[in-house]
Amino acid sequence: MPPKPHRVLLDRVSGYADEAAAYMRRRRVSRRPFARLYYPNGCSADHADDSTVGAELFVAAGRLIEVAGKRQKP
Amino acid sequence: MADAATTEVAPGDAAEAALAFLGEMSPDLRGGAILDAGGAVLAASGDLERWREDAAVLFTVADRAAERPAEQLHVATEQGEVFALRHAGFAAVVVTERFALASLMFFDMRSTLRDLATACRRVENPPLAGEIGPSTPGEG
Repeated sequence: MPPKPHRVLLDRVSGYADEAAAYMRRRRVSRRPFARLYYPNGCSADHADDSTVGAELFVAAGRLIEVAGKRQKP
Repeated sequence: MADAATTEVAPGDAAEAALAFLGEMSPDLRGGAILDAGGAVLAASGDLERWREDAAVLFTVADRAAERPAEQLHVATEQGEVFALRHAGFAAVVVTERFALASLMFFDMRSTLRDLATACRRVENPPLAGEIGPSTPGEG
């Protein structure tokens, strides 16, 4: 007996949601802090946190994050 | 018909509205500031002076990194993410939660600054009374 149509739809949606959740989990684990600058000609440059510019960018960003504070929960 | 005087918006008010709109569009946003070309804060969430100082430091460091000034920057840390963008004579600096989508964030910031620039141009050059609204034959 074939499954009811709404079950098929639910399974499909659950499958996509599971894949998305796994992707986000992997992204959280694998993503490291970075500093990236973009220029008007379309070029971009990454700066490692152990470089001079990178370290300064992280310090400046840290101060801004401090100013912004925590997000208020709705 | 709208009067030209009633359509005028001060840049600070327009920037406040732009920042509020940016906050509505971006649920990950924690706070931000909009600055003019000179680095003065037009609108900010929280302490204006600290936003001015810290944004100035950020742009100074970014500009020192290469021979030409950076147009936009993205710094992702464990505590949150910082996006900064210069566009149309204004600059926007925002702080978001981690893992905010960079392309969407930059798109929203760019469109916000573009709208702000348009609003400010309108203030500088208010339309003449005859230019506002559709012209009605036989009017006047």
